[in-house]
Amino acid sequence: MKYVFQFGIVWDHLPQLLHGAWLTIRLSTGAFALGFVIAMLLAFLRTAGPRPLRAGIAAYVEFIRNTPFLVQLFIIYFSLPAIGLRMEAVTAALVGMSLNFSGYATEIIRSGIEAVPRSQIEAGYSLGFTRLQIFRHVIVFPALRTVYPALASQFVLLMLGSSVVAAISAEELTAITNTLQSTTFRAFEFYFVATGLYLLMTIGMRLLLHAIYWAIFERSRPAERAWSR
Amino acid sequence: MKRREMLIGAATGAAGIATLAAVTQSMQALAQAAALPGGVLDRIIKEKKIRITAEVTSPPFGILDRNNQPDGSEIETARQLAKDLGVELELVQVTAPQRIPALLAGRADVAISSLSITFDRAKTVMFAPPHGALSIVIAGPKKVQIRSAADMAGKKIGLTRATLEEATVPPSAPPTAQMVFFDDIAATMQAMISGQVDAAGMSAFAAKSVSDRNPKAEIENKFTVRTAYYAPAVRPGDFDLLQFLRTWVFLNKHNGVLANIYKKYTEVALIDLPAM
Repeated sequence: MKYVFQFGIVWDHLPQLLHGAWLTIRLSTGAFALGFVIAMLLAFLRTAGPRPLRAGIAAYVEFIRNTPFLVQLFIIYFSLPAIGLRMEAVTAALVGMSLNFSGYATEIIRSGIEAVPRSQIEAGYSLGFTRLQIFRHVIVFPALRTVYPALASQFVLLMLGSSVVAAISAEELTAITNTLQSTTFRAFEFYFVATGLYLLMTIGMRLLLHAIYWAIFERSRPAERAWSR
Repeated sequence: MKRREMLIGAATGAAGIATLAAVTQSMQALAQAAALPGGVLDRIIKEKKIRITAEVTSPPFGILDRNNQPDGSEIETARQLAKDLGVELELVQVTAPQRIPALLAGRADVAISSLSITFDRAKTVMFAPPHGALSIVIAGPKKVQIRSAADMAGKKIGLTRATLEEATVPPSAPPTAQMVFFDDIAATMQAMISGQVDAAGMSAFAAKSVSDRNPKAEIENKFTVRTAYYAPAVRPGDFDLLQFLRTWVFLNKHNGVLANIYKKYTEVALIDLPAM
């Protein structure tokens, strides 16, 4: 069988695809920022908070990591309206992605915190620091540097996983592609171009994350870098 | 060298002739089948067997029952046709895209698989008069005020991708109506029940089932967007069979058999079928 590729129709709809890709980027970066803040808080409480709170956070992390993302989205979008909490599809997608990311990131950051040598924390206590001060001045920086690659990978997974939110009608790249291919019957062409766009976004974001790493952990801390070698 | 070439040439020639002979023979057989005096209807009656397409992945038209046997309104219709002809029924299982190819390839004598009558299809097969209808409706909760396409202005309308409703609802809706697309009918229904969309486009059967299963949501049909009529189809040229089907549809429409089959499987009353 011979299939004649017709990419012309894809270029006609390129503005729509780019619009979808832009929503993908906004959702991913927004969920990364929100999820990161939540995860930092949870990771701190998970390691330094009171015992019942630690157990609660552990349960939250296990729940997020052991249930399908799609089901989490369905709960937020379809089930929460039953108790009066109604969100637009894009808001629901952002909330779902943030919570999902926070579950994974909490565990990643916790592992970074636990990798900080005990002696440094004890040094903080001996200087009369409070727990929060130790977290802020002793733990955060080396912990984040340790887990930065893992967080960056998780961010890429978050961006690729964002295609799932098409199921709750958030019009990101995958949703737009699905609609266009089902109305034009040019499935191959549209999926090829969408795949290419995802690839470009992922590569772009990876480069950006490298630049951020360099700016935060390498450029401004020459002394520490020398020390750590 | 020359001898070898000659040998190869002779072998190729022999193979070619053999192939040609085989093709001619099968074409003759086909031609004979088509040229039987009286045609395909006579053959069906003589062989006491009719072959009808069975598509079993589109409830309520065709499904596989608990024992993996074909069932559904179109299967029942096929059984009725065989019964009225007084012949045995052979169901030819097909997928939706295969319905017409299976007929044209001669695997089936008639296609009875909820084939909507369209211009494109009419160019390749001959349709009998319709024996059933499929309506796309806008359904929504009672409290949502929609009575016509114009009332969809400013409302969120849920639709399922790659369906008849996706093809028919947007063109009829005012520009301020917001179309919200889902990947499967279950998600579209859920969005309507949970109030994430004001109303949704779907088949009348789907609307009926969602409203029956969620009495509290008070789902009702707002208006019919489009009605598609489906009919038995035969190969081009099989006029004898087509004429029998015309008579058959007329009689079974008149005596209520078609309406009973439709009602039994769809739980919706069959609308008046136009003549053709």
